[in-house]
Amino acid sequence: MFLEILINAVATGLLLGSIYAALALGLAVTFGILHIPNIAHPVFVVLGAYLAVVANERGWDPILAALAGALPFYLLGALFYEFYARVFERRGEADTMQALTLFFGVSLVVETALVLKFGTNQQTVDVDYVGQSLRIGLLVMPYRLLVPALVAPVMILTLWAYLKFTYAGIAIRAAAHDVRALQVSGVDPHWIKRHAFGIASVTALVAGAILVIIGPVDPFSGRLQIGRAFAVVILAGMGAVPGTILAAFIIGVAESLVSAFLNPSWSPGVAFLILLATLALKPQGLFGASR
Amino acid sequence: MNRLVIEGLEAGYGAVSVLRGISIEVRQGELVALLGTNGNGKSTLLNAILGFVRPTAGRVVLEWDGQTIDLTGAPPHRIVDAGIALVPEGRRLAPNLTVEENLLLAGSGRRARRDARRNLGFCFETFPILKERRAQRAATMSGGQQQMLAIARALMTSPRIVLIDEPSLGLAPIAVTQVIATIRSLQATQNLTIVIAEQSVVQAIDISARAYVLAHGSILRTFARGDSAADLDDIRRAMLGVGESRRPTEAAQ
Ligand SMILES: Nc1ncnc2c1ncn2[C@@H]1O[C@H](COP(=O)(O)OP(=O)(O)O)[C@@H](O)[C@H]1O
Ligand SMILES: [Mg+2]
Repeated sequence: MFLEILINAVATGLLLGSIYAALALGLAVTFGILHIPNIAHPVFVVLGAYLAVVANERGWDPILAALAGALPFYLLGALFYEFYARVFERRGEADTMQALTLFFGVSLVVETALVLKFGTNQQTVDVDYVGQSLRIGLLVMPYRLLVPALVAPVMILTLWAYLKFTYAGIAIRAAAHDVRALQVSGVDPHWIKRHAFGIASVTALVAGAILVIIGPVDPFSGRLQIGRAFAVVILAGMGAVPGTILAAFIIGVAESLVSAFLNPSWSPGVAFLILLATLALKPQGLFGASR
Repeated sequence: MNRLVIEGLEAGYGAVSVLRGISIEVRQGELVALLGTNGNGKSTLLNAILGFVRPTAGRVVLEWDGQTIDLTGAPPHRIVDAGIALVPEGRRLAPNLTVEENLLLAGSGRRARRDARRNLGFCFETFPILKERRAQRAATMSGGQQQMLAIARALMTSPRIVLIDEPSLGLAPIAVTQVIATIRSLQATQNLTIVIAEQSVVQAIDISARAYVLAHGSILRTFARGDSAADLDDIRRAMLGVGESRRPTEAAQ
């Protein structure tokens, strides 16, 4: 009995962790690499979820819908950065407080727009695999978790390869440290940051499609994700993209164990506890370079 | 004739004006020295050419292959793309990237990209230590090696003209000798066009065809190799502002 609970709690934790990694991935780019504290990232995830819902009503699979919507979301993210840069970076670097205020404002606007268009009702998608489970011995894995959990590593691996092996990817990784290094290399830092925001926005769309497969989504669902997404990025270490998956596994499993053996009500607090412990004990995170 | 022309360039920081009407010319294949003690505007001049400091007056014009490109006030990445590379003071490498990534990044510009492979091969041939340490993070290299990387990075942009800002700064004497020798041989064997800003007269004048002495943001004197006046003491005196009285126009400012 105990063993069965333990095995399933760990398995669920890993599945959740994989999904958390997908949710945090865009933040690993904008905050982890570019050091821009984009607290509006989760609201883009919710926006992505709504796109998946609308497409699903027309018979699309949510994940396919996300792939189809990649270009518009890329442009949306690029536009969002352009707006941020116009407001602040013209006068040098934005200070964190100003940036947070702007991102908070953007989140409110998007949430309000979603409420006005769709109401506050919870939205769901209808896919065949939701409601079924994979059983292996004692292990029971619902497809509504398993399918999203498989998408996340693919997305992370793709992004990692992009950052590692393309010119633009190398430039994105250089951007946070010394903008002048980019400029003397003949690269436009503004273009590169805008491109990075576009990519982050595409990951938000995919994460949104995943989120709505796991469970119902409403306009405010992003708020629950903010703390956890930052916890994942900081635990992984700033700039450590593949590290997000392990960090997210740790948080997912910890949450799952707490809800299995203590009390499910405490599980949302787990990410914050881990965040606090990371900041106190290992501020550079698991894989971040010490700065 | 292929050349870079700076005409009446003025620039500064906010209300503080630093450059007061600089006019210099650099022709293809030349190695030109920009001499001046600390704080006289060498870096400001190079940064104004690159577009990091916005000129308030004057022009930066590149005349190359029959084209005349006005670069005044253009953003740095465009200026690099036009063929002017900078090896900045303090090197400004991407510390978290590997040696090879720093080089590839500089080879990614629109014009440089098609030659990136060949340029990388040339850099590794010229600086074997960079090839050996290609997978190492730039931040973990010694000062001399970082300076080599900064020079190699400039070469990756397929430059027409390379501006080098105090390459000897903060290096051990042996590293200085090595860096200067490399610059000299690049100019000689590759027919590269180089502008080098230096405080240490001996090293810079020894390798250059022409030297401008910069004092308080103006060109105080110009020396050419072979000038009878161009003995080192004379240049030193000019740099320190003794012996030669300042021009009246400058005193008036
Ligand atoms: N970023 C800056 N902001 C304000 N003043 C500066 C800045 N950089 C240089 N200066 C000033 O401009 C003058 C010329 O400096 P610089 O061009 O760095 O000289 P050099 O390279 O010959 O040592 C100095 O008086 C210096 O204090
Ligand atoms: Mg200087």
